[in-house]
Amino acid sequence: MPSPIAPPDEPPLAPSARSLRSLDWFIFFVADVQTGFGPFVSVFLTTQKWTQVDIGLVLSAAGFVSLIGQMPGGALVDAARSERFVAGLAVTVICISALGYAALPMFPIVLSAAVLHSLASCVLGPAIAAISLGLVGHAAIGERFGRNARFAAIGNGLAAAAMGTCGYLLSARAVFVVTVLLLVPALLALRGIAPAEIDPERAHGAPPRQRAGKPPAKPGDLMHNRPLLIFAGCLLLFHLANAAMLPLMGSVVTMQSARWATLLIAACIVVPQLLVAALSPWVGRRAQIWGRRPMLLIGFAALPIRGILFASVTDPQLLVVVQLLDGVTAAVFSVMVPLVVADLTRGTGHFNLGQGIVGTFVGIGASLSTTIAGFMSDYLGSPAAFAGLAAIALFGLLMLWFLMPETRPAEE
Amino acid sequence: MRGDHGMAVTAAALLALSVAVGAALAADGTDRAEPPPATTPSAPPRATPEVTILNKHEVEGILGREVRSATDENMGRIVDVLVDHTGLVRAAIIDFGGFLGVGSRKIAVDWNALHFPQPGTPGARIALELTRDQVKTAPEYQEGKPVVVLGALGKLESWPE
Repeated sequence: MPSPIAPPDEPPLAPSARSLRSLDWFIFFVADVQTGFGPFVSVFLTTQKWTQVDIGLVLSAAGFVSLIGQMPGGALVDAARSERFVAGLAVTVICISALGYAALPMFPIVLSAAVLHSLASCVLGPAIAAISLGLVGHAAIGERFGRNARFAAIGNGLAAAAMGTCGYLLSARAVFVVTVLLLVPALLALRGIAPAEIDPERAHGAPPRQRAGKPPAKPGDLMHNRPLLIFAGCLLLFHLANAAMLPLMGSVVTMQSARWATLLIAACIVVPQLLVAALSPWVGRRAQIWGRRPMLLIGFAALPIRGILFASVTDPQLLVVVQLLDGVTAAVFSVMVPLVVADLTRGTGHFNLGQGIVGTFVGIGASLSTTIAGFMSDYLGSPAAFAGLAAIALFGLLMLWFLMPETRPAEE
Repeated sequence: MRGDHGMAVTAAALLALSVAVGAALAADGTDRAEPPPATTPSAPPRATPEVTILNKHEVEGILGREVRSATDENMGRIVDVLVDHTGLVRAAIIDFGGFLGVGSRKIAVDWNALHFPQPGTPGARIALELTRDQVKTAPEYQEGKPVVVLGALGKLESWPE
C-alpha cells in the first residue's frame, strides 16, 4: 500500500447474503459426505469378505496419513490463492474415493481411496475455515464459526440417521453411492460463494493493517508461538480424555441392555449434535463479549464432570442425559478451536498452518485415547477407566486455567 | 476331542473348510517334507491335483454374513472362524451390537450353536441359537488371550490358549 495511512482493518466490501448462505449449505453437505464414510468403511469391507487384519491395516494407514497430513495441508491452504478451488478439489477427491470403495473393493484401490480421503480431509477443514475468515474477517469470525458449527452438526446428525437407515434397508455399498451423489449439491453450494468476496490475504490470517509495514512472518515462527503451543497442548489432553469416552460408554451400554442398546447409542451420538446445532452460534457471540477463556473453561470443565458421572451412573437412560454435557463441550470446541487459532495467527498469514499444528496435537491425543482407555478398562474395569479419563481432563483444565492467556483482540 | 488341544490356529480368510486346512498345511513346511503315510502305498505322483466339483447348492462362504438370533434379532456379522490344529472349526467370531461402529465388539460363539441355511438360497440368514440378552455380557474376543466361547445354552466356556 503506497498510502502513508494504514488502511482500515477490514476492507469495506461486505459479503453478500448469498455467499454466506451458500457457505452454510456447503458445510452442511460436506458434513454429510464425511459422515457417510467413517463408520461404514469397516462394515462395508466386512460384507465384502475382507479380513479384520486387512481392514485394520487400511484404517491405520488412513489414521496415520490424516495425522501427518495436517501441517502440510494447512500450509497448502495458506499458499493457495483460491480457497474455493481447493475446497472443491478436496471434496471431489473425497467423493472419488467413495466411488473407489463402492465400485472396486480390492486392496490396492481401497488403500489408495482411504489415503486420498485422509489427505483431502486434511485440506478441507482448514479450507472451510479459511473461506469463512476470508469472507467475514476477524471482527465477525466468532459468530461465523458458530454458524459453521451449527450447519456441520445438522449435517452430521441428519446424515447419521439417513445413512444408518440406508445401510440397514439397502446395503453398506449404497451408503457410498449416496456419498458420491452428494458431491453435486456440495459443488453447487460452493459455486454460490462469490470468489471476489473471499479476500485471500484475510483468509490466511493477514488483515491489511497487520500486513502493512511488517515483514511477512515465516512459517517456523508459529513453532515459537507460546500461546499456540499451550493451546495445542491443552487440546491434546482434552482429546486424550474425550475421544475414548463415547466408545467406552457404548460398550458399557451394550453390556447392560440388549434390546435398547442400539437406540441408546444412537441417541448418545445424535443428542450432542442437536445441542451443538442449538448452542454454537451463541458460543460464537459470547466469545466476542466475554472473551475466549471463559468459554474454553466452560467447555473443558464439562469433560471431567462427564467422566465422573459415567463412572458412577449405571442407569442406561441417564447416560443419554449425561451426554448433554458432551453437547456443551462439542459446541464450545467446534467454535473456539478455529477462533483461538485465528486470534493467535492474526497478522502472520499462516492461519491454516496454525490449524494444522493444532490438528496434529488433536490427532495424537485422540489416537492415544482409545489405547489408554482400553488398557485401563481391561485391567481396572470401566468405572476406573472413566475416572482415569476424567483425571486427564482435569489436568488439561488446570493447564488451561493457569497457562492459557486470553486471546481476544484488545479492541475491535 | 473337545477342549484338550492347546493349539488353536486362526484362519484369517476362511472361505471354506478345505481351503483353511490346505492353507494350514501349506504354511507348515515340516509336514510336507515328511514322507506320506503308508495308507496309500501304491498312489503314483499325480501330474495334476485332484479336483472336486461342489455346486452352489452345496457350499458357500460365510465371512461377512449376517447372523440372526432364534427370535430374529440382528446378531452381527461373522468376521472370523477359529480352528484347532486338526482343522476342526471350534468357534465363529461375530461382530456384535453397536450403532455406527460405537459399542460393537467381537465375541466368540460355539460353532455348534450356528445353523446354516441351504447354500445358494437368496436372502437366507445364518441362525444362532442365542438371543441378544444371552450374548450381551460375553467378554470381547481378543487375539492372544484365552477365548471365552459362548455355547448354545448361553453358558460361557473357556478355551485355554
